[in-house]
Amino acid sequence: MSTNKTYTVPTYAAFGWLTFSTFLAVFGPLLPVESFRTIHGDFLDAKPFTAGHWFGVDSNGYDIFSGIINGARLSLFVAFITVGIGGFIGSLLGITAAYYRGRYDSIVNTAFNVVLAVPNLVLALALVAVLATNVDINEAVPTWRRLATLMISLTVVIIPILGRIARASALTWSGREFVVAARSMGMRDRHIIWRHIVPNVLPVLIAVGFLAVGVVIIAEASLSLLGVGIPDGASWGGMIARGRNDLEYNPHALYFPIIALALTVISTNHLGDVLRGRLDRREARL
Amino acid sequence: MKLLGAVIILVRALVVLFLVTFMITVLVRLLPGDPVDTLMPFATDEGREQLRSELGLNINIVQYYFRWLGDFVRGDFGQWYASTGDGGGVPIGQMLGVALPRSLFLMFYTMVFSLTLALPIGIFLGYRADTRIDRTLSNAMFALSSIPSFALGLSLVYILGLRLDLLPVLGYVPFTESPGEHFKSMVLPVLSLSVGLIAGFSRLLRVDTIATLREDFVTMASSKGLSNGWILWRHVLRPSSATLMTSAALQMGGLIGGAVVIEIIFALNGFGMLLNTAIVTRQYLAIQSLVALIAVAFIFFNLVVNVLYAVVDPRVRSARG
Repeated sequence: MSTNKTYTVPTYAAFGWLTFSTFLAVFGPLLPVESFRTIHGDFLDAKPFTAGHWFGVDSNGYDIFSGIINGARLSLFVAFITVGIGGFIGSLLGITAAYYRGRYDSIVNTAFNVVLAVPNLVLALALVAVLATNVDINEAVPTWRRLATLMISLTVVIIPILGRIARASALTWSGREFVVAARSMGMRDRHIIWRHIVPNVLPVLIAVGFLAVGVVIIAEASLSLLGVGIPDGASWGGMIARGRNDLEYNPHALYFPIIALALTVISTNHLGDVLRGRLDRREARL
Repeated sequence: MKLLGAVIILVRALVVLFLVTFMITVLVRLLPGDPVDTLMPFATDEGREQLRSELGLNINIVQYYFRWLGDFVRGDFGQWYASTGDGGGVPIGQMLGVALPRSLFLMFYTMVFSLTLALPIGIFLGYRADTRIDRTLSNAMFALSSIPSFALGLSLVYILGLRLDLLPVLGYVPFTESPGEHFKSMVLPVLSLSVGLIAGFSRLLRVDTIATLREDFVTMASSKGLSNGWILWRHVLRPSSATLMTSAALQMGGLIGGAVVIEIIFALNGFGMLLNTAIVTRQYLAIQSLVALIAVAFIFFNLVVNVLYAVVDPRVRSARG
């Protein structure tokens, strides 16, 4: 950001929101809130600020507030897990490719380019279609399997995005004097990568990882809108997909999940941006 | 030297294209179930045999891939099978003839609209860097660039379409039918896709403008007494737009993905909707050809930008030798 202060009000706000929604995601079931599956038949189409239903109730009788809390659980869970696993595999490939160079590097790099040549949402959509359908197209697929395939597909999308960043960053560090020195002293490759390269690449990866969390949350919601997301309208994207059909009469069923989703993506993007800015300044000082 | 570099870039792009299309072929093959049962449950034995050979189920995947590639390069994208039909179907090329222009219009308008707004905003913010207006607008831009296009699209549908009843919220009107209605039907989709792009583009341009403004030739120009507006448009914009152009090319991929969702929200029946239908109903050949088309377009855009770089910024030309 443009100011010289490291942490500004938006940074605290972003951090606060993420902490808060993570708290909801982790401790949601323990809160004194009814399950999101409870149908409140007496409160159909209740507007926001109705007593007992702060965020209102949609036309199916689902309480929006419970939905948001449960959605935090799923959306954040999916996002953090996929970015974690995808980031791990991606950086493993990217860093080793940058360190060893040669044919291995060009294979890894080409593989990244191949996957990146298909827009991430299209790729995720295709992967979900391949993995999450039964032999009979009309037979329902169990929820856990759809969740698992969704996460695998999104992981495949994330691997080249973070892998490429890791590779680019590791390339610059592998050429530094201390790496050359360590190598000439006979330090083992695994040690050099682990002790000298990983600690330097990690901050960049964490910064970009925040951005990737935003990408995954949006992709998951888009897949829900396309009808291949997590079923039962459980995630924020699922709530949006369900609320869309009733936009004219119950807009609140739509805008609460949209706000939650937008705030989360803005927060992760902002934190990623701040971290990257700090890194750039550190680099400049070195 | 220069020619060699161009050839290497081209060869690399071709290799990636080969691998992408092959990957898609494998992926489509992995779809569970017997394609013949899925596509034509009521076909006769003859129809089944015909479909079997058309989908290359009786030959190995490499042979099939090259046969498909041959057809694809010649512009034969295969058939869209009707479940009630018995062999054959609608050529995908014919369906593209309807769907593709809609998506191309959508993307063209989106890109033109975003760039026309992003250029002045980005330059202005760079010029006024670190003033209050820059900080306010930059923060707003940042928030806007993070909001997914479907969220924006749905909000716009509600406010402009349903509450104020200003614009149609569904459907597409061809340009030839009624230009006025055509533009009206495109306003909301284009707006939903553009806002994020405008914000992203102007942020990039702002950063590069700040860097360019520190260069000697700008001091030189202003000491010659040229007006600020002239300097910004004629001297600063061009060298500052390299990052913007890369981003615009990369965004084309995201735009295709985002457009799938937007086309469905606004029922535009374009390329994205066709692709989604193909995937959901397992139109084997259609999935393969449509995803391949996207990859070709995406790689092509990146190549074009590589060339445009040198045109826009002469310094790149000399630096690359």
